[in-house]
Amino acid sequence: MAFTITCPVCGIRRGYEFRFGGEDKGPMPPEESLASETWCEYVHMNNCIAGIQKEWWFHRDGCGSWFTIYRDTTTNQQVENR
Amino acid sequence: MTINLERRSPVKLKGRPVKTGIREGRQIVSGYAGAGKGLHIVDLSHFSRWDIQDKRLSRIQPYGDMIPEKPGQIFMDKHLLMGRLNATQAVAWHFSELKPDMPQTQAFTDITDAAVALALTGPAVYDMAEKVCALDLADPLKTPPFLVQGPFSHVPCHLWVLDRTDSGGCLALTCSRGYAHDMVNSILEAGAEYNVTPEGEDIFRAWLGWGG
Repeated sequence: MAFTITCPVCGIRRGYEFRFGGEDKGPMPPEESLASETWCEYVHMNNCIAGIQKEWWFHRDGCGSWFTIYRDTTTNQQVENR
Repeated sequence: MTINLERRSPVKLKGRPVKTGIREGRQIVSGYAGAGKGLHIVDLSHFSRWDIQDKRLSRIQPYGDMIPEKPGQIFMDKHLLMGRLNATQAVAWHFSELKPDMPQTQAFTDITDAAVALALTGPAVYDMAEKVCALDLADPLKTPPFLVQGPFSHVPCHLWVLDRTDSGGCLALTCSRGYAHDMVNSILEAGAEYNVTPEGEDIFRAWLGWGG
């Protein structure tokens, strides 16, 4: 079992039970006077960090929770929350 | 004009029913001929299940006091199982012969017809389950009854570990109704070496001490 994720409800589970939800990009930019370039940047552009990044995961086969974890993308291991 | 609705279980078990009845428009099998003392598969799809959602579940009346505090915990009472799923969601499962009235508030949704519900009782329940499920249902750190949400035969399920002893156990599982046929086939195939046979609801009630 190479990749496990700790769900806040169900505990440690196999990575196969989850769906990746993308990098955590923080809150949406305010809608007021939002430029299309800013919105495009927020939606489509990723940092693609080679190292530890904060990302969203969905427990698809379990409790259905959305939550964030920190994962080292170079080792594909979850690391302690920071 | 009165309309008599006929409702059908999503599960079809091969066997000769010897004790049947009609309840809420459903054909109920309480016992099958030739069921031995081995591993049994029981169709529980006809029992009422309610989804309960609220940001403060403990305040829901009249069931708030019965909703366990932590996800995975189960409250068992006479003919009632109440499982906590997460911070805002719980499931009530009624096993009384008379269908209970569901409170008409936004917190409650009747999900009986949307799901398939099965029970496995008898010896080697967890040996069989291990063949189709990677979750540790026999975790010695957990004392039954407890609830696990996860894949069983690759299907997202609620797994109710109700009893676990040296001589066997009782495991109930629920999942979306559309998986019924494949789920039953998977269990029958995995349970073939344990001589799994269909049984009626009486054996499930008896196992939990709820009488026949």
